[in-house]
Amino acid sequence: MPFVWGNLLRVSPEIPLQSVLRSSSQQAEEINRITNYFFIAAGFILLIVALLTAYMLYKFRDGKKETSTKPLSSKWEIATIGVPSLLVAVFLYFNIKTINLVEPEYKNETPDVIITAHQWWWEANYPSANVITANEIHLPAGKKILLKLLAADVIHDWWIPQFGNKMDMVPTQENYLWLDIKHPGEYYGACSEYCGAQHAHMRLKVIAQNEEDYNNWLQQHQRPAMNTTFESGAQLFMTKTCGNCHRIGGTEAKATIGPDLTHLGSRKTLLAGLLENNIENLTNWIKDPQQIKPGAYMPDFHLDDTTVKSIAAYLNNLK
Amino acid sequence: MKAILLDSIEQDLPVAHRDRKILYWLSTVDHKAIGKLYLLTALLFFVIGGAEALLMRTQLAVASNHLLQPEAYDQIFTMHGVTMIFFVMMPALLGLTVYFTPLMIGANEMAFPRLNAFSFWITFFGGLLLYFSFAAGGAPDAGWFNYAPLNEEHYSNSPGINYYAIGLLLGGIGSVTTAINIIVTIMKLRVKGMSLKRLPLFVWMALVNSFLIIAAMPSLNAALSMLLLDRVMEAHFFNTNAGGSALLWQHLFWMFGHPEVYILILPAFGIYSEVFQVFSQKKIFGYVFVAASTVAIGLLSFGVWVHHMFAAGLGNTVNSFFAAASMLIGIPTGVKIFNWIGTMYGGKIRLTTSMMFAVAFLIEFTIGGLSGIGFSIVPIDWQLTDSYFVVAHLHYVFIGGSLFSVFAALFYWFPKITGRQLSERLGKWFFWLFVIGFNLTFFLQHFLGLMGMPRRVYTYQDIPYYTLLNLLSSAGAYLMGAAVIVLLYNIYRTLKGEVMKDQDPWNAFTLEWYADAPPGERNFVDVPVVTSRRPFYDLKNPHDRDYD
Amino acid sequence: MNRLMMKLTIGSEAIFFLCLIVAYLYFWRSGNFQREVAEHLSIKSAGIFTAILLFSSFSFWQAERNHASENYKATKLWLIVTIILGVIFLLGQGHEYYKLIQENILISKSEFGSSFYTLTGFHGLHVLIGLIILLIVLALTMQGYLLNKNSSAIKTVGIYWHFVDAVWVFVFATIYVLPYIL
Ligand code: HEA
Ligand code: HEA
Ligand code: HEC
Ligand code: CUA
Ligand SMILES: [Cu+2]
Repeated sequence: MPFVWGNLLRVSPEIPLQSVLRSSSQQAEEINRITNYFFIAAGFILLIVALLTAYMLYKFRDGKKETSTKPLSSKWEIATIGVPSLLVAVFLYFNIKTINLVEPEYKNETPDVIITAHQWWWEANYPSANVITANEIHLPAGKKILLKLLAADVIHDWWIPQFGNKMDMVPTQENYLWLDIKHPGEYYGACSEYCGAQHAHMRLKVIAQNEEDYNNWLQQHQRPAMNTTFESGAQLFMTKTCGNCHRIGGTEAKATIGPDLTHLGSRKTLLAGLLENNIENLTNWIKDPQQIKPGAYMPDFHLDDTTVKSIAAYLNNLK
Repeated sequence: MKAILLDSIEQDLPVAHRDRKILYWLSTVDHKAIGKLYLLTALLFFVIGGAEALLMRTQLAVASNHLLQPEAYDQIFTMHGVTMIFFVMMPALLGLTVYFTPLMIGANEMAFPRLNAFSFWITFFGGLLLYFSFAAGGAPDAGWFNYAPLNEEHYSNSPGINYYAIGLLLGGIGSVTTAINIIVTIMKLRVKGMSLKRLPLFVWMALVNSFLIIAAMPSLNAALSMLLLDRVMEAHFFNTNAGGSALLWQHLFWMFGHPEVYILILPAFGIYSEVFQVFSQKKIFGYVFVAASTVAIGLLSFGVWVHHMFAAGLGNTVNSFFAAASMLIGIPTGVKIFNWIGTMYGGKIRLTTSMMFAVAFLIEFTIGGLSGIGFSIVPIDWQLTDSYFVVAHLHYVFIGGSLFSVFAALFYWFPKITGRQLSERLGKWFFWLFVIGFNLTFFLQHFLGLMGMPRRVYTYQDIPYYTLLNLLSSAGAYLMGAAVIVLLYNIYRTLKGEVMKDQDPWNAFTLEWYADAPPGERNFVDVPVVTSRRPFYDLKNPHDRDYD
Repeated sequence: MNRLMMKLTIGSEAIFFLCLIVAYLYFWRSGNFQREVAEHLSIKSAGIFTAILLFSSFSFWQAERNHASENYKATKLWLIVTIILGVIFLLGQGHEYYKLIQENILISKSEFGSSFYTLTGFHGLHVLIGLIILLIVLALTMQGYLLNKNSSAIKTVGIYWHFVDAVWVFVFATIYVLPYIL
């Protein structure tokens, strides 16, 4: 690869500043409280160590004239064991308190959304409304919801800094995560367990909506794909084996190896936040996936431009 | 002055071919020669592992960089971690241990000289094998802790991970046999009068550390064996597509992995304990506390491994238990820190390069240790695990703790090993360049972690402040690179330079300085009877000897 | 010195086998071992071979005692007995493997296969190593080496051999006995 400074891929949906210290959920608030206490205590300890060290270096240099100092007594040992023990005890208490506030043990409640991580994309399943979508996950704000986290292949990890805690997604295991988003808005995160070649491009985007917007969105996504125009693209999509991996609701494409494309057109980004969702990015991707996202499990089909164009047009139209 | 004669080394040791250099280094069983071989191996791999680090930092210098393909980056960060842990820090610290333990306890050899040679060569071979993977179709690419099922044939079909497994198995065997050798040496070959209560603290730590090695390595070996069976004979241990378990690997690995990181810090603590004494020209404060806290750390370190798995969904009860154990480790460690400070108190401090690294360690390691305590608080770990905050933590403890100790030891013991003294002027340059670069690189990574940057990403999108912080971080890495070049030059120049006249340049306390510099094939003809913790000091100051 | 070395070695080995046993139990449920064991393993024959291995420990102990009391002829005899018993044990294990492979229980077939062969296999390997060492010791004694009271060789090897037998007791308990008491 040639050495290229700067940005080759256009990433126009600018991701705003991320910070674990901005809490946008109940859980994050709890965590940040203890985090702040900790940083204060840690800073205090570090300060003491630094000051003591500085003092020794200043006071007791070779060559300096003998300053008669009475030797340290065993009080020193008592203090250096006692104070830390106290701090540890305090934080142990907060620790256990916060854990149980943030992640109450799971007792067979029914999850609101089932999220399955794949190499390297996210699948979201809304069992109550039987809606399936990918990569851009819509969640209701202002109510406590339960996410069920699964992994289809290797270990992945759910992390949206402003929502607080991570949770690994471990194959053959079901993990659960309580979430209480405070305000509607767009939230960003990333898969945080190393999961192979494109771990870096497994960004995560949550669109939190208030009750009714959310329900509207659900209803809109319950509808099968409507392809009045672009018949040719629809045809090609089937004949070019795309259907072997992708699902498009209301057509015979039912596979779930790749992301669901039923309403692809309504998403803002492609490929787990890698690209803006527009017709040319879509075209480039279908033309040569390995160029865009090396290692992704979608082969290059060597399709001629016209084919690609009409497929892209078709998909882009699936609002 | 009373002195006891030592019977010379075991008679039937193979004669080392002193006249024929290559053959000598291949055939020697002299613990000093083997110690040097370890140290040279560590230096070689440090330059390689460091070069890999520079490559990573170059790739990460700017957003969406395409210098390295993902496959390349994944192999490089994996090899960087594996190299630095198993083939830099392990050989460096084991090397210092086999070189100085016999000298410090007044013995002429290790208990099993041949075993000692075997241990080194099998470790060295393990390292070569690991790097051979590059030529054999791809290095391991699943990270240094190599989680299942990513480490399975199905997800990583290059042979790299087989080399990882075999390489670490060989290295592991080497470490265990060395550890056994060290324990027997310390238990059986101490000179008359050197009771366990008078053992130099470096030897104390070496002793405890060897027990850690013996107890920790087996679970890694077990895990690696299962992994090999999975990959070569299609067993099902970690194959989640066929009834295997992803978490079993994590448990077995971290049951080894956490003690391992303490295996890399305890000998460092030993080195600092010696350095603080000599350069404060004052005996250690709270000998018993320092020794005892080591044992406490050793025991605790086997009860904390799940703190690497807090986000794996093991449940609040389990997590709380291991959180408690992890926090407790802070207490004995703190005891050490404050006793070293107490050692400086009322002393006559000489700020040599060696001492400067020891002092810097107090601060840097406290930073790293405290971020460790942060992680041991489960909710904080939930936020920051697998982010760059972890990368910052592990480098503050590894570099500010383990690596600084090797540098301190290098400047302190180089005269003893070679009979020549490293240039203090270049030493100071090296110190400042490295310490500044180090903090520039890794302190900023705390912020990257707090800003949600996951670790092990081959590139990142243009998110506010990411490029800025990463660019500065990379700049720091290059400063460290420059520093290392200064160090290499310093060593080279000194070895060309003239032999020092003074056999005891630091006016040191312990027995290794009673032998010649460099020590002859036979360390001692006679050794002073040990009546305290600072026998060599007593010898030099008959009127002011200690009585403990 | 040698003995301390050997004690530390087996200490490390013990933890290794502990890990393998834990792994075996880890898959107990998902691999429904209970059924597999009941169907494919015979506690009787395994029990017999266990007894044989234990007796080899006894016979080696005899060798040690005679060596201590400078009764070297008996020493060699007991060494030979020990070796023969060890070989019988390995043959037994080989036969069991053969039978299982006939019944299509393979390391690559199920969690049970993987765990069972790994655990017993590593133990078998240790027995084999023990036998090789014993043969060397025997050869040396035949040529009259090691034949004085204060040679620690035999005692050192003894520690290892008894250890290997002890490990088997746990393996046997885990694999063959546990299903019946659970
Ligand atoms: C030399 C190696 C070393 C050392 C010494 C330590 C020391 C500690 N480490 Fe660290 N650790 C690593 C190497 C090390 N670590 C590595 C390599 C990883 C990453 C592995 C990977 O994922 O790749 C890791 C990761 C890691 C994690 C998992 C993070 C994650 O991935 O989610 C945790 C969690 O608890 C942790 C905890 C600790 C603790 C509590 C200590 C304690 O021992 C620290 C004790 C020291 C102090 C506390 C400072 C001095 C004390 C005082 C000044 C007294 C006052 C203190 C108190 C009152 C508390 N470490
Ligand atoms: C003791 C252990 C140790 C040491 C000393 C270091 C030293 C360094 N480490 Fe590393 N590091 C780890 C242990 C260590 N590391 C571990 C365990 C991981 C985790 C791996 C994983 O996730 O699996 C890690 C991961 C890690 C990462 C994260 C990768 C990722 O998650 O994507 C980064 C990134 O900045 C990094 C950087 C560095 C740098 C800049 C140094 C610098 O200090 C290096 C300084 C040395 C030099 C700069 C060499 C100088 C040599 C020359 C100048 C000669 C050049 C010669 C030629 C070019 C031929 N390390
Ligand atoms: C072998 C299986 C496979 C086949 C066949 C396949 N894809 Fe894909 N596709 C995938 C995978 C896997 C991804 C997710 C890649 C990633 O993000 O890592 C994907 C992603 C996509 C995306 C982006 C989806 C999103 O949510 O951003 C589009 C669009 C797409 N494929 C279109 C097609 C078209 C058109 C064809 C036929 C020409 C096709 N795919 C054939 C596996 C396949
Ligand atoms: Cu998925 Cu990292
Ligand atoms: Cu740890």
